[in-house]
Amino acid sequence: MEPSDQTKIAILGAGRGGRALVDLLHHVPSIKIVGIADRNPAAPGLERARELGISVTTDVPDLISNHGAGLILDVTGDPKMETYLHAHKPPAADILGGSASHLLWTLIQHESKLEAELLQSEKLAGIGSFAAGIAHDINNPLQLILGLAENLTEERDLTAVHEQAHEIIEAVKRTSAICRDLTRYSRRASPHEDILVPVNGKLDEALKIARYASSFHDIEMIKQYQPDAAVKGNPDELLHVLVNLITNAVHAMEHSGGTLTIETIVHDGQVDIRISDTGSGIAPDKIPEIFEPFFTTKAPGKGTGLGLYNVKTIVNKMHGTIAVDSRIGQGTTFTLTFPNAETAGQGSLL
Amino acid sequence: MSEFKSGFFVGGEACEGRVLVVDDEPDIRKVVKMTLQKAGYEVLEAENGEKAIEVINSGENRLLLDVVICDIRMPKINGAEAVAYFRSNYPRVPLIVLTGFPDTDMATSFLRQGVVDYLVKPVEGEKLRAAVARAIEQRELARL
Repeated sequence: MEPSDQTKIAILGAGRGGRALVDLLHHVPSIKIVGIADRNPAAPGLERARELGISVTTDVPDLISNHGAGLILDVTGDPKMETYLHAHKPPAADILGGSASHLLWTLIQHESKLEAELLQSEKLAGIGSFAAGIAHDINNPLQLILGLAENLTEERDLTAVHEQAHEIIEAVKRTSAICRDLTRYSRRASPHEDILVPVNGKLDEALKIARYASSFHDIEMIKQYQPDAAVKGNPDELLHVLVNLITNAVHAMEHSGGTLTIETIVHDGQVDIRISDTGSGIAPDKIPEIFEPFFTTKAPGKGTGLGLYNVKTIVNKMHGTIAVDSRIGQGTTFTLTFPNAETAGQGSLL
Repeated sequence: MSEFKSGFFVGGEACEGRVLVVDDEPDIRKVVKMTLQKAGYEVLEAENGEKAIEVINSGENRLLLDVVICDIRMPKINGAEAVAYFRSNYPRVPLIVLTGFPDTDMATSFLRQGVVDYLVKPVEGEKLRAAVARAIEQRELARL
């Protein structure tokens, strides 16, 4: 995007309204937030702006005049500010204030709530398909525990008793780890939590979850992780993206078996996450549709059609891009590219 | 304890019968083996359907295998495929399905195919031994 195509916005007021605006507008490529101002240096919107590398200031005259703002969003709710802006704004700048900016804020909050609901419902719908995997992974250790415990009631050899009791303890730990992983995954993504997320660890966590959703039998796995790959974003949402892509890859190889390759690549400060399968592939004319909501190739009642739509929403939010390379009968590669986490979202400081 | 003794002699020792346990989890094979050995069965192991077919086709097993206990969710040839193979090639060998995932449709389909029992893990030792004894008994009755 050429900088000249961007709408430059200055935000006045960094309370809840200002914070909501920063969160939403920051993700829109055609919008650049040139700065945010509030009299209170501890206002939540200022804190959020600092996290995202957006300029923060208490100097309103400087912000509205000297940073090329084409639109001034006034969410201070202060009538004096309204009067001040009308008298002092640069001629080329528009003002959105008063009840109009309040309406905008209300709509933004509504949209962000809807988006969170959509993510959560798709995730929960997916967990329904975990039943077979969970039952398998819980009932197997239970069989071991039961068999060993029955044996212990008659076992005379003290060494064997110790060994078997130890095996029971380990089996119980494995079983409780399943519940822990699943509760962590099924919880609602904590909002506004953009932090530096180590990607390799998240991929391993996603692999554990994806195993419940799909059978990894007959699938060879290749992991090529570059150390220190990290991206900036919400860790719960990134996990959701990775589980989705890995599950899709494994489903594509469900009948034939194949190779699942998971790579992280760090180059020129960017991080690529690449997930490849050697499965059925996607027809070229379908590729543009796969990110559309409710697009699914699964049988009725099996898929929500929201998986890749949500993947795209989250990746966009993280300022990343998705590339798909697919050949029928040969397989599919999804490449997610994220900007350098150190510089992501950084603007010039006032 | 089984009520019926088929009374084979394997390796010079009295044996209640020879059982093949097919499961990809070594822990399950170990514990099932432990449970059945206590009742005097000889237990062979296979880690998937492909290995199970190899075992049944090797040497004397073809003649001396009394029962196959088979998991469903397994790599290579999965349980459902293995059951189909055993039923068409070794219809006289009774099959018991031992699965971690109870599924009524699957259970019905297996029982229709002639599987003698459908057990869901975790199964108590006594129930497992009874199921094996019952399977052997049915096999002997079918021979008469």
